[in-house]
Amino acid sequence: MNKDSQMRAAINQKLIEMGERERLKELLRAKLVECGWKDQMKAQCKDVIREKGLEHVTVEDLVVEITPKGRALVPDSVKKELLQRIRASLAQHSTL
Amino acid sequence: CNGAWLQRKQHTLQPTYYVMSLYPQIMFCFGRARRSSRCGSPAGCSHVNAYKVDNWRPNLRVIYQCFVWSGSAETRRRKAKSCICHMCGAHLNRLHSCLYCVFFGCFTKKHIHEHAKNKRHNLAIDLLYGGIYCFVCQDYIYDKDMEQIAKEEQRKAWKLQGVGEKYSTWEPTKRELDLLRHNPKRRKMTTNCTIGLRGLINLGNTCFMNCIVQALTHTPLLRDFFLSDRHKCEMQSNSCLVCEMSQLFQEFYSGHRSPHIPFRLLHLVWTHARHLAGYEQQDAHEFLIAALDVLHRHCKGDTTNDNGKKANNPNHCNCIIDQIFTGGLQSDVTCQVCHGVSTTIDPFWDISLDLPGSSTPFWPLSPGGDGGTVNGESHLSGATTLTDCLRRFTRPEHLGSSAKIKCGGCHSYQESTKQLTMKKLPIVACFHLKRFEHSAKLRRKITTYVSFPLELDMTPFMASRWASTNYLPPGLYVLVRYALFAVVNHQGTLESGHYTSFIRQHKDQWFKCDDAIITKASIKDVLDSEGYLLFYHKQFLEYE
Repeated sequence: MNKDSQMRAAINQKLIEMGERERLKELLRAKLVECGWKDQMKAQCKDVIREKGLEHVTVEDLVVEITPKGRALVPDSVKKELLQRIRASLAQHSTL
Repeated sequence: CNGAWLQRKQHTLQPTYYVMSLYPQIMFCFGRARRSSRCGSPAGCSHVNAYKVDNWRPNLRVIYQCFVWSGSAETRRRKAKSCICHMCGAHLNRLHSCLYCVFFGCFTKKHIHEHAKNKRHNLAIDLLYGGIYCFVCQDYIYDKDMEQIAKEEQRKAWKLQGVGEKYSTWEPTKRELDLLRHNPKRRKMTTNCTIGLRGLINLGNTCFMNCIVQALTHTPLLRDFFLSDRHKCEMQSNSCLVCEMSQLFQEFYSGHRSPHIPFRLLHLVWTHARHLAGYEQQDAHEFLIAALDVLHRHCKGDTTNDNGKKANNPNHCNCIIDQIFTGGLQSDVTCQVCHGVSTTIDPFWDISLDLPGSSTPFWPLSPGGDGGTVNGESHLSGATTLTDCLRRFTRPEHLGSSAKIKCGGCHSYQESTKQLTMKKLPIVACFHLKRFEHSAKLRRKITTYVSFPLELDMTPFMASRWASTNYLPPGLYVLVRYALFAVVNHQGTLESGHYTSFIRQHKDQWFKCDDAIITKASIKDVLDSEGYLLFYHKQFLEYE
């Protein structure tokens, strides 16, 4: 693993231990609903299901088609805010 | 999400069901999680049968508790350390755990697939979402028993984390499915359909009642309560106001566009709130409080506590009115000598705010005092904002030497300061701008413009310790944002005037309701209006 992914793993570990990861996930969920991202994704999923047929579509089909779109459609403001919160959480923990 | 609902059958007592929220922005519940019984559930598969032997249930639970939804600090630590791919060490890439042995592998890089093939271990669990993957079927499968365990473990973890219950999509019961099949007529809600809008005939100076009815019929939670037929009437006579409201909602959401004549409602209001009877113009705010009071009293059949027993205590009522409108106002009286604080909390349905220009002294807060647009309100050179009024309402007030309070600590009368803050925020917050002055000398209307925002953050006015800091724990921030959904305005003077209202549909469609006449309005129209009663709805609701 290179330095970047080492850091990522370390941060991830810390956040899980703090219980912060779950809370951040909740915040992210709320923000993504609020900005309409969840509805957009739902609509995309429906398109994929219609395309592949209800009987034949698998979760994998959806993941492969939706993931890139989902990642691209997250608003910058949401990314910014989450980054801020992560920084704040990590900073708070190191002062304890 | 598109919404659909059943049409009420005219000749039977089939209940009406309301399926989806009109406000995609609002996730909500009714205070208790629904125990859904899956029927016609999606496929499990036969390949799980090899797994469901011996002690499989507790084993599966352990996997959920340790590696998927870790509730306790210990399991979290373990999860953090051990949840990495056994082949490449990554913690991302949709990590899965084999169900038959201790092996973690990436899904994206197919490491778990390799393991499945080599060891002939057909089942794996997604560590992010808890889904069970069958390598033979090559898809996620939903075995009823395993789903049950998953749900239980998830709830347990949430509880441990202090998250409480979360929104889960509606799953119909067998009875509901039957009803849906027997009542095939559907009405589709698009983003610009105007169902729910209906004018109200003025029965003689009844505009004060009409505008409150418009506000109530467009209160999302109240609408959902009535459209899903949740009122169980316990009154013997025909004079239940809640039943009448239920009828009113049916009328408003029937799709009829002709104005409705609310004569029965008016009659019931006269019966139960005598002080409002007569054909003179009344105060819309007084009507709101009287209506909520009568509805609250008539909701007795719907109040249950957790044991399913009827709650007879009016102070611990859990009726829909209390659930939606009741907040808690904290009053702290601080003794100036010993600094002891005496705290009381009183329920409230509305917050009445004094305005500049009234005979009560309004502390002139400099416009944009603490950095301007706290709530995105316009500060047109000195215009008072709703936030200013709220700040004034919650500022510490010196009670003066003529109003000494008996201090429990000093055992004598001392000067003190009093401060009001919000302890419990209601789901719907109604702000009453006190425009009508009825003092001994003066009877007049204060027409000062007060600017109010489309979205309101109540954090600065709350009693909790977070109010004084800028930092809120992540996740808590979203729970105090409110969205404007109705405005009641009064035109004219104290002696002769007229009430109209603005109400909101979907996300940003506003309409002006002037008795029987409904017209489209712009957000600017709404925000430029004088404002008498302002109705705000919490944007995100949490489960009790």
